[in-house]
Formats: sequence, structure tokens, C-alpha cells
Amino acid sequence: MATTATISISSDIAPGFGGISETMTLTQAGTLTDIDSTTGFSIRKLSATGAEDLIEMTKELVEPKDSVAAKIYIRNIGYKGVIDKSVGVTIGVNAEPIGLLYGGDWMMMPLTCIDADDITANPATDDTVVLEYVLFYEEA
Amino acid sequence: MATTTAAVTLTSDLMSTNMSVSASTTCMKAGTTADGLDGMEYGYFDLVTGDEYDLIGATPTASKASKLYLKNHSTDETYFVAITQGTQAIGKLYGGDWMFIPADFHDAAGEIAITANGGTNKICYALFHEGITKDASA
Repeated sequence: MATTATISISSDIAPGFGGISETMTLTQAGTLTDIDSTTGFSIRKLSATGAEDLIEMTKELVEPKDSVAAKIYIRNIGYKGVIDKSVGVTIGVNAEPIGLLYGGDWMMMPLTCIDADDITANPATDDTVVLEYVLFYEEA
Repeated sequence: MATTTAAVTLTSDLMSTNMSVSASTTCMKAGTTADGLDGMEYGYFDLVTGDEYDLIGATPTASKASKLYLKNHSTDETYFVAITQGTQAIGKLYGGDWMFIPADFHDAAGEIAITANGGTNKICYALFHEGITKDASA
């Protein structure tokens, strides 16, 4: 079955935009071989402002290979079933903020997985929010 | 209100029980439940190997709720584009890979840039935003 990710985007912002529907199979860098490792599915509850490491690359039990084809999925799932679109968490790589995930928002992006490039989460408010996430990577 | 929705389905057999996750979000302006993103740009181009290029030419309103979709449509799995934000390397998109992120564009140094490797990469992108600052005509 491998690991696959399908995205579907619809929008009525621009007349005539037909939407996007694409599927990718997560493979090892430069090959058609399936990606072989994952952190597994995790959640993290945050209740205060301040950046925290969501993933510390040096603490993964299986060392990720650097600068290849890793991908991470993260979603802000709110708290206790309540998804608040006004509660955002800034996701970052190393010291670089990538963007704000508001309630219900999700993201999927490639990663370098080098030791300095930890994934950080910094809530914009003290409201409690839960992130779910999973990292797929190649074993070093 | 303009409506943009983004859905994902993720499946994997890397764990003892097959994983399947589905999620969908309506892309709203920052911190609101009443007003959806109302601007977008959409493009498809060939990117030759070598130099780094800014993906987004105009500056979307900083620290808002922009969302960026990017896919490498190259059919050769050895081709890839390296993604950076500011000076930070983010990762690589190989032929067939896509990404979808909230794009902060926190300041003038927060632009997203791409560099093609392996050969001429075919890139498709869509930026959904809530306003941009166009460059003045020279």
C-alpha cells in the first residue's frame, strides 16, 4: 500500500478555477522505493504562548537521513472537540516561522531533518490547543 | 464570502495497523470565522537548474493566513526543487511531490524561494491570500 497523500482544493475566489486534486506516493529521494520510516501518529497539547519543539531531530529513536525526502503532516485539531478558527499556532523550522495553523488547518511539507532543523510550535494565545502530527522519513 | 477548502487523505502501512487520516479545512482570513480568503494567484512554469528564484513575486500581507500549494510535476523521480524560506532550508520536493503550508511571509526576508536540480523541473503553485502589495511599475 505504501504511504500516499491526496490533496483536494476547491475555491470560488477566481472564476474558472477548476480546483486541484493530486496524489503523491511518499518515496525515498530520487527513487521509486517507498519511504521506510515514521515517527508514528502523535498529538501535543499546548496551553501557553512560547515556542516548543514539536519534533527534536536528535531525539528520534530511528535517526532520520538528512536532506532527502522527508515529509511532515500537522493539523490543529482544537481542544476537546471544539475547533476555534481564531486560535492559531505558528509552526516553524529551526528559528524560521513558516506560518500560522488556525483551528482545523493542516499542512504537509518536506523537511531537511538535519539536527538543527527542529519543528517548533508557538501558540499565539494561552488558549489550549492540540496538534496532531506524523513525520515520514528515510532511515539514516 | 469566498470559500476555499483544502482536504487531505493520508494513508500508510508503515505501522502495525494501517493508518488513514482525513482532514478538511475552510481557509479563513486570520483569526476569523466569518470571512474567507479572497485573493489567489495560480501558476505553472518550467524551472531550469541552477539559480534560486523567489516563488512569490509580490508580497502577500504579512503574518496573515495565506496558504501555499506547490507541486513538482516533473515525471523524473530524480529531479527535485529545494525549498527555502528566508535563509532557512525547508526541504526538497521530488518529481510528483506536493506541499501545502500556511505561509507567513513575516517580513521582506520571509519569501519562499525554490531551486531546481537534476534538470528542468515543471512547477505548479497556488497561493491563497487576503491581500498583496503589488510592485510599482518602473
